[in-house]
This record gives sequence, structure tokens and C-alpha cells, in this order.
Amino acid sequence: MTRLPRQPGEVIDRSVPLRFTWNGKATTGFSGDTIASALAASDTRIFARSMKYHRPRGLLTADYWDPNGFVQVGDDPNVRSGHRLLEAGMEVSAQNVWPSLDFDIKAANGLVGRFLTAGFYYKTFMKPAKLWPTYEKVLARFAPGGTIDLDSPHRYHDKRYAHPDVVVAGGGPAGMAAAIAAASVGASVMLVEHNHHLGGALLWGTDVDRATGARLAAECMTSENIEVLLDSTVTGRYEDNWVAIVQRSHPIAVERLIKARAKSLVVAPGLIERPYVFAGNDKPGVMLSGAVRRLVNMYAVQPGSRAVVFTANDDGDQTARDLERVGIEVACTVDARRGENIVAAEGSTKSVESVVLGDGSSIDADLLITAVGWTAPTSLLNLAGDRPAYDPAAARFFSSRLPDNILVTGGLAGDGSLDELIEHGSATGNLAARRALVVAATLQKLTTRAAPLAGDPGEVPADDRAPLGRNPHPELHRSSTHGIVDYSEDVSSKDLFAAAKEGYDSVELIKRFTTATMGPAQGKLETVNTVAVLAEARGETIADVGTTVWRPPYAPITLGALGGRIFEPVRVSTVQSWHEAHNATPILAGQWIRPEHYGDPVGEVRNVRSGVGIIDVTPLGKLDLQGPDVPKLLNLLYTNKWVQLPIGGVRYGVMCAEDGVVMDDGVTARLGEQHYLMTTTSSGAGGVWEWAENWLQTAHPDWRVHVTPVTTAYTSINVAGPKSRELVSRLTDIDLDPQAFAYMQVRTGTVAGIDKCVMWRIGFTGELSYELHVPSGFGLHVWDTLMDVGADLGVAPFGLEAQRVMRLEKGHFIVGQDTDGLTKMPSVGMNGLIKLDKDDFSGKVELGLALDHTASLALPRLVAIQTTDPNIVPEEASQIVRAGTNEILGRITSSRMSPTLERSICLGQVLPEAAEPDTILTVVMTTGERITAKVMQHHAHFDPEGDRLRV
Amino acid sequence: MMLVPCPHCGPRNSTDLHYVGESHPRPSVNDVTAEEWRTYLYMRDNPAGLLTETWYCRSGCRQYFTAVRNTATNEFVNHPLPGNRAGAVDPSFHYVSESKTGSVQPTIEGAPS
Amino acid sequence: MSEPATFASPVVSIPDFHSGMGIAVPTLRDESTTTKMLVRADNDSAVAASLGVSFGSAILKGGNVLVAATRPTEWLALGDPASVAAVIDQLVAVAEESGNPNHMSTVDLTHGRALFRISGAAAAKTLEKVCSLDWADNMMPDGAVASASVAKVTCDIIRNNQYEQTSYLIASDRSSAQYLFDAIIDAGAEFDIAVV
Repeated sequence: MTRLPRQPGEVIDRSVPLRFTWNGKATTGFSGDTIASALAASDTRIFARSMKYHRPRGLLTADYWDPNGFVQVGDDPNVRSGHRLLEAGMEVSAQNVWPSLDFDIKAANGLVGRFLTAGFYYKTFMKPAKLWPTYEKVLARFAPGGTIDLDSPHRYHDKRYAHPDVVVAGGGPAGMAAAIAAASVGASVMLVEHNHHLGGALLWGTDVDRATGARLAAECMTSENIEVLLDSTVTGRYEDNWVAIVQRSHPIAVERLIKARAKSLVVAPGLIERPYVFAGNDKPGVMLSGAVRRLVNMYAVQPGSRAVVFTANDDGDQTARDLERVGIEVACTVDARRGENIVAAEGSTKSVESVVLGDGSSIDADLLITAVGWTAPTSLLNLAGDRPAYDPAAARFFSSRLPDNILVTGGLAGDGSLDELIEHGSATGNLAARRALVVAATLQKLTTRAAPLAGDPGEVPADDRAPLGRNPHPELHRSSTHGIVDYSEDVSSKDLFAAAKEGYDSVELIKRFTTATMGPAQGKLETVNTVAVLAEARGETIADVGTTVWRPPYAPITLGALGGRIFEPVRVSTVQSWHEAHNATPILAGQWIRPEHYGDPVGEVRNVRSGVGIIDVTPLGKLDLQGPDVPKLLNLLYTNKWVQLPIGGVRYGVMCAEDGVVMDDGVTARLGEQHYLMTTTSSGAGGVWEWAENWLQTAHPDWRVHVTPVTTAYTSINVAGPKSRELVSRLTDIDLDPQAFAYMQVRTGTVAGIDKCVMWRIGFTGELSYELHVPSGFGLHVWDTLMDVGADLGVAPFGLEAQRVMRLEKGHFIVGQDTDGLTKMPSVGMNGLIKLDKDDFSGKVELGLALDHTASLALPRLVAIQTTDPNIVPEEASQIVRAGTNEILGRITSSRMSPTLERSICLGQVLPEAAEPDTILTVVMTTGERITAKVMQHHAHFDPEGDRLRV
Repeated sequence: MMLVPCPHCGPRNSTDLHYVGESHPRPSVNDVTAEEWRTYLYMRDNPAGLLTETWYCRSGCRQYFTAVRNTATNEFVNHPLPGNRAGAVDPSFHYVSESKTGSVQPTIEGAPS
Repeated sequence: MSEPATFASPVVSIPDFHSGMGIAVPTLRDESTTTKMLVRADNDSAVAASLGVSFGSAILKGGNVLVAATRPTEWLALGDPASVAAVIDQLVAVAEESGNPNHMSTVDLTHGRALFRISGAAAAKTLEKVCSLDWADNMMPDGAVASASVAKVTCDIIRNNQYEQTSYLIASDRSSAQYLFDAIIDAGAEFDIAVV
């Protein structure tokens, strides 16, 4: 093929040549070319090898849907060459060819094609199963697709939300007219066009077509109410007109995903030309009429030198006229409307050389053009619940039922002259806008924060459009010979007949068995022919067979577009900058970034046990509770009793869900007459808040309690160790005398000059400790002050790891670590905290049953465990089994080497039969080795009496 | 994505809300049988049709509310948006809730006999 | 002892980014030091009546305290410490006078929340990249209050125009503030967002 003289409708800019390479060879195209048109203009005839048989393939549609046009561009695989615009310096190569495009060893598949019939892979490689890994390696080399470069630079993908009144999918004449009409009555419009130009089929049409298209396009581009999105695709329509749009070639991003809540959606994608099934229909040189008209009229590319045109419609006729205009010989026009037919394309595997007609005659030609009708791309309609119906007179599918907020126009709605299509588009846009404005007014009326609506939203206007007609069209799917039905999957009509004969004769089954319609074209070209061939095989009509359901996305979508800018919130305390500056190893705990340790977790433990350490425990959940009915709420949420907590008192409690499973635990303090501060686990903070609100809002709306999350209103610092009292006393006005401020009490006062601090005497570490809750804006100041004034006491920070070791030494369980989604409260050894004589609390019924009934004795128990060999630390989640068997009796839930005891210590859940103190357990290590361990008397490995806490 | 009619905010994206589930009254905890209680905890009607359910407006007003939704069409019966869904609700979808402690007999481990 | 205590903003670093400082650029400002007092009261209480604004709207009280009804039964009062204290004192007096058994409570969230202000013609275009709300003038007019996910952080958002220019206040949990600040700058980069 070569470049034709300047064409009136060409979209290339001949003054801007672009150099690129094709399989390493220097090539030139023009600005405005697609990769495919530039290659075609430089005499490329073979673009790819087919997936299964590796047959040479040339352009078929020369647009986005071309099944043969996939190329690799640099590190970008599976680029659609009929769509992607040429850029200077592109390195373009063919995919799925080895060692080269022209000489493809895998084409030997074609010689043994009889082995590769439908279901070949299923049947051949199923047995023996153990050989599958071998098969897989071999097959992977034959798999189609480009190569992924794992070192590709990160590219920016974007996303945004939008709330347009009207989204128009398709920028052809009807779509443009719809957008203009909608905008003219004040609707905000997004006009989404899949290709790089507005105009649709007008772009390769007659002078009148192009002039009309240009006028409409100019109007769209200049309208203030229309946002034109070129090279963009509406990939799906979901509930309540939630419309996904992928915008490619955006100035700031490779792709942008737009999530639009459209009040009306106008679907105007036009029609997609359908190939014809006959022998040799995949030889290079067999093209659809649209491909030829695009190449000739838009890109000035000569697609061949001597053509046979097989036509059933005006588009085919116009193609012949276009060829004659540019001086390409039309050897023969075969008119299906006169009952004429073609039977085969013959020649070498690399090119058509002659065409066999229905009467048996043969005509020399290197170009065979078919124009046999259309596929209606109804995807977006199907997604709205439509089940399009087949009209044999028009030889295509039409919408049958749609919600009011989706309107169809253009070729999908019917046929007509250009003026009629534009008129229908205008009427559709007008109706879509009027309906959208009713929805918009309703949304405004229903939305509390919105401006008050003047007047009433009104009724949804009825559909008053004059419908488009339907032109009769012959039903042309397959000639008397067999050919390719699905080009991307290499499925022939013969395969479909064979599959139907084997019993895969429903449309959904034959699709999955043969993979027809499952390739990259996703049915746009091959669905109707698949259905038609199946109908033929079954001796039925297309309407009888029905069609597969179109699913999103309308066009393939990259994972980058779906990922977009990823929102992954992280949370930090006010002291985080200090941690970072002091060598903290960060750990992500939920959304929180926390210091795991500062280089020496063992030293951190020893410093707390012997001196004083400070830890940032800001993520600890905190809820401010106020009101006269707070005790009622506490009684409901916790299993124990809360009515007599004095002001200044602190109490520990466990929360259970209604199924008796431990949900959270923590301490709650009474700060004032009607004022409490609850703490929760760090990960449970959000859930406990919602849990409390649920009870208050749905079960006890009469209770006067206000719950406010204040987790990060305070920077929380635990000062722990025998010297903690000395340290804290240096910077507070609170009386720390143990008589005045005992274990499990709370005070408010000034710390390091900061007012309104809350100070708790509690201790997860088992040491004397004071937990300071400081207004967050001053958290770093208080932390700095503690480090300064405690320097002579040897104060040092400690991280999460040291805290976890110390709590394990003390045998404190962690909800979610030592308990799981089945751990009911009796399992954790705190039955004394279950107060069944309370009128009500969450989990009461289940806990009552669990404590009452003998069957509940089967509940596992949380116990402290020490290994026989003090140096072995079994990994967390190691199984505990019955000696000499694999029968599971439990598992290790927490394990560490204790720096304090200088031995391995564990917590674990075991069945009651193995829970008695001194029971010898068998623990299976991850290596498979079995070790023994002993159940301990107390949960606490260290200081079980708690003397160190209470000093 | 479905719009959910929050009675306080107005229509919101369903991802703004947390779906709590079917709304069923909590039995009185002091005279309930194990079977009744566990039926309340675990058994769901799951109709193809009208369902009363609880939502929590998590990203919005943070209020719990109940709404009646036709699970076959996703239409919120008392808060329809104009133009949204195809056709009228098929009356055959209307689901009559069975008694929560009726014919369903869940196996209950550890229940008093 | 350390140097005197100053309120530390949760935004500790401003990322490197290009800003062209064009004419219509959105601006982002950290206003986290604003006093933020949460008021809780029943909707039918004298306190609610005195506040004079219901869920979804905000008004200016006492000249320079912005009171936003952020939830049913919840208000957020924003301003300088003395002015906010005066408004709260007045509410406490109203509650006491009313003898209404419906109690009122307050929680000081000055330290618990970050507060950002994003302004300018492209502010809504920036926000629609991180939040699914409809920012059209009729759906989010001046004085409108909404809660929504902003870059997956639940925030209270108040349309609060300044100098006849579009402006939004965004209040988030303090611990998420740096992340949120960075996310808004990333979203606004294409509009040449400027930190002021």
C-alpha cells in the first residue's frame, strides 16, 4: 500500500512527518496517522499472527476493534494500532511472533490444525493431571499478547467524580446533535467519543457528510455546557446511572477514570460492521468496507490495487465509488441484494490473489471488501437490564426495554438519512435534558444541604420522539464455505458446528467451550456471526438461539485506570516526627504508622523493668462519654457492672458481640459527675463508636448520652517503670502520692505546663505507670519535656514490640491476636466479669448459655504456656496437637523470648482437656519438629500478683 | 453504584453507607429461648422482593436508619428517584416474611434440650 | 525544660510540587489552630433553637464564630478561642434557663481535628478528584455543610465563601491531616494549587 494524493477529508498533517520503527526497521508516518494507517501507508500488509494457528493477518477493520492490529509499543503491550495515534520515536513491534512476523515457526500449528479443534486444550491437557505444569510451560510460550516490562516507569493515572446532567456516549452525528440539543436547554453535558475526532462515520463520508460533521463538532467544542471527552470510552453503566468513563490521552495523566452520576445517559455508539464468514476470510487483503473507507478517506492510504467489493448496503456501494474516485480498480462488485455471493478468497497465506464467486467464477484481486451489515453494540443497554431483540428484516438487534434515564439514538435506534439521524439525535438530547432536569431538581429537593428548590421537580416527560425507521437488510452471516468467525480467538464456523454437534449447543455453552467472543474484541465483531452459525447448526433462527449477555467493560480497561490515584490514608501521632528523627523502625498497624522499636527492643524492655521508659500510645481508641445515662450505656456495652464507679475511678471491661464473642476490651474512667472517658483497642476504636451509636440510636434513643471520638484529640504517652513516678512528679501538679492516686485511678491536671491533661494509673506493661493524655497540639512538647527532665533517670522511648513483650510477660491478651472471631468470653478466663444478673448487656443470652450448659465446656481456653526448652520460641499460630497424633488441641497465639525471664513465653488457646496447669503439650513447629511445652498456673509469666503495678 | 436515600442527608452513594442488614426486632433477652435467640442472630429471610433493612450513614450523618428496598430492582420503595429503573415493580416479587421462629429449625450446638 | 509550648499543627511538611500561581489557582491553607468546639444537644431543645441552624447548614454567630450543623444533634463551632467561648457560655446559659431535661454537652476538638481551607474558582474541580459529592452551586451552596469521604478520610465540609470567592473548610481527624493535605495537593496540582 502506498500513500494516495491529498484527500479532501484526510486527518493527517503531511507537514509533520513522524519517524518510528516497526520491528526495528525505520519507518515514517504523519502526524494524525494511527499506527496502523502509518504502517499500511508504508506497505505493511501483515500486522500480526493469529492466536492459535499463527496465520498471517492483515488489517480487517483498521479501527479500535481490529482483531489483527495488536502491537507492542515500547514497554506497552497489546496496543490497538488502529486506534493509537502515531508519535515520533515510537518503537512498534508485532506481538505473538517468533522468530519473526514473516517467518513464524508456530505457524506449523496451522498444519496440524485438525488437532486444535474446539475444546482441544480442555480435552488434551486435562490428563494426566501431574503433567499440567509441563503443559503449562509449553502453552505459555504460545499464549498471545505482548510482553510486560517489569521495569516500566510508574505512570500517573488519575480519577475524578462528575455529576453531569447528560452523558452522551458516542460523538457521531446523532450523539453530537443530542449533546447540542441538551446543552441548548441548559443541561450540563459530557460528550464522550471513543475515537480521536468527533464525527463518527461522517469522517470518512461524502463532502456533505464531512461538512455536516464539522459544523456539529465545532458547535460541540465551543458550547459552554458541553465537556467533550475525545479518545474516551464509556466502559459501563451501573445502578442509578453511575457511569464509568475512561479518558485516555489526558494532558496530566496516562488515563483518567471518571465516575459520573449521569442524570440521563444517551447511548449513541453507532454500529459496528460485521465480517462475513467464508473460506479464506482471514487472509491479508480481506477487509471490511469501513476499514477501506477509513484508510482511503481519513489517512489517504491505498489499501490494494485491484478490488472485489461484496456489498449488501449503501456503505458497500459508497466504498466502490471511493475506490473508483482514487483510481483503484474495482474488478467486480458483487451485490448481495441481487442474490450474488462470494465463496472464497484464494491465494498464498500472506495475501488474497483471487476471489471465487457464488457462480464458481474466479476473479483476480488483491483486495476483497465486504459490506454485509452491522452489529448493534448494545452493551450499555444490557447493563441497564435491556434484553435486545433480533429483527430479521433489518438483520440486527434493537433495544426492547430501558429505564427512563437511558435513551438511545443513532444507528442503535434505527436507520435514516443524515438529516433524520440528526433530528432524532436532537429530539433525544432534548428529552434527555428535560428528564435530567427533573432528576436534578428531585435530587436537590431531597438533599438536605442543597439550596431550597423553588417549585416542584415535576413529572418525568414522556417519550415524544418520532422513532427512526428500520431499513431492510439481507441477513448475511456465512457463505457456503467455512471461515473464521472469531479472529482474535481463531475460532472457525467449522469449530462451532463441531461443538454444537458435541452438545454445546446453547449460546452460553458454545461460547465457553470454543472461546468464541471471549477474545480482545469481546464480541463486537463476532457475537452475531457466532449466534448465526449456531442457529444454522441447530436449524433455527437467531431469535430462537438468542445472544450472550454483554458485560462491562465496553472496551478493555487497564488496571492502571482502575487503580488510579490510590487513596490509602495513613495516620500518625503528633510525636511521629520525633520518632522518625530518632531511628524508629516504623510498623503499619491498621492505618497507623507506629514505632516498632528504636533499634533495641530487648534493651527497651529492660529499661522499663529497671528504670523508666515512655511509649507513644496515641492510637489507643478514646471515646468521650457525657450525660446522665452513661452508666446505662457502659452496662450495656461491657459484660461487667458500671453503676458504682466513683469519680476518679478506672475500671477494666470486656465487650462482647451478641454472639458472646469477645469484641474489644479496655479501661473506662469517670472524670466527672456525667463525664467518662472510654478507651478501646487501637483497631477497635471506630467499631466501638459505631456499636455504641447503634445501641443509642436504635435500641435506646431515650437515653441521654453523647459519644464523641477523641482518639487524636489527645497524644497519649505511657510512662512506665519503677522510676515513672519520679519522672512524672517533676512536671505535674497532680498529687502522685500512692495513697492519693492509686492503681486504677484517673486524675486531670497540668503536665509540662499544659492544662487539661488526663492522667491514668494503669499498666499494660505490668510496671508502675502513668498514662498521660495530652491535648494533641502539645503532644510533642510533653514528649520532649519527658525526655529532657528524665535524662538523669535514664528515660528512653520504647516501641510497640517492647510493649508487646511486656504485656505477654504479664499474660494480657490482645483482642484479635489471642482471640479470634469464635472466641467467646469464657475462653479468656474472665468469667468473673460476666454479670448475668444485669438486666441486659450485649452478649448476655449467649454468655448465659455458655456458662450454663455443659456443652459449653468444650470451649477452648486461653492459657499461658512455657516450652520445655527455654530457648525455643514457637512461631505464633503453631499448632498444639495430641502427642503422637495430628489431632489438633489448640494453637500458640502469642510467643516471644522474654528478656525479663530469659526464656521463651507463650499464650495459647487449647481445648479444656489440655488446659489444666502442668499439662504437657506437644507443639508442632513450622519446621515440622515437635517440641513439648507446659501449661502454666497463671496467665502472667511475670509478677502474677501484680505487686509492681501497685507500688 | 446505587443511591441510598438517607433520611437525613438525602440520596448518597451506597459506598458512603454501611449495610447493617435485615431489620429484625431484638428479642427480650431475659425470656428468650436459645432457639429464638439464635434464629434472631443467624437466620435471614433474604427475599427477592421487599425487604426492610438497616443502614448506617457512615461517611455522612452517622445515623442509623431503616428503609424498604425491593431487592429484585434495588428500588427504595418510599424514596423513588424519577426515571431510574425499568418499569413498575413486578407485584409477584412481593415477599411475605415468614415467622422468624416458624418452620426454620436451625441446628443449635449446646442448646438445652 | 523545653522551650515554651506552642500548638503544633498536624501538617508538618509541605511536599515539593510545582505551582504556576496562575490567576484562577486554588489555594490550600492549614487552619488547624482554629478553636473547634463540638456542641451536642437534642434537635428540639432550647439550645438547638438558640443555635438557629439545623443539619446541613452553617451560620455565623456573634460576628465571627462559624457554627456548622455537622450531624443531626451535633454542631461544630469554629473561631478564635474567646469568641467561641462566648458562644458556648451563652448556650450553657440557655440550657440552664430552659430547665429542659435534654442535656447539652461540649467537647473541645481543637486538638482532635485538622482544619483546611481550600479556595478559588478551581477549588471544586480539585475536590471532585477526591470526593464524590456534587459541588454544583445549587447542591453545595454557600453555607452548606456535608460529611463525606475525602480521599477515603471522613471529613466535615463547609462551603464558606470568603471575599465573594468560592471557599470550603474541611475538617478531618488530626492524625490523617498530613495524608489528606498531601492528597489535596496531588489532586490540585493540575490546577496549579498553591499553599498559602
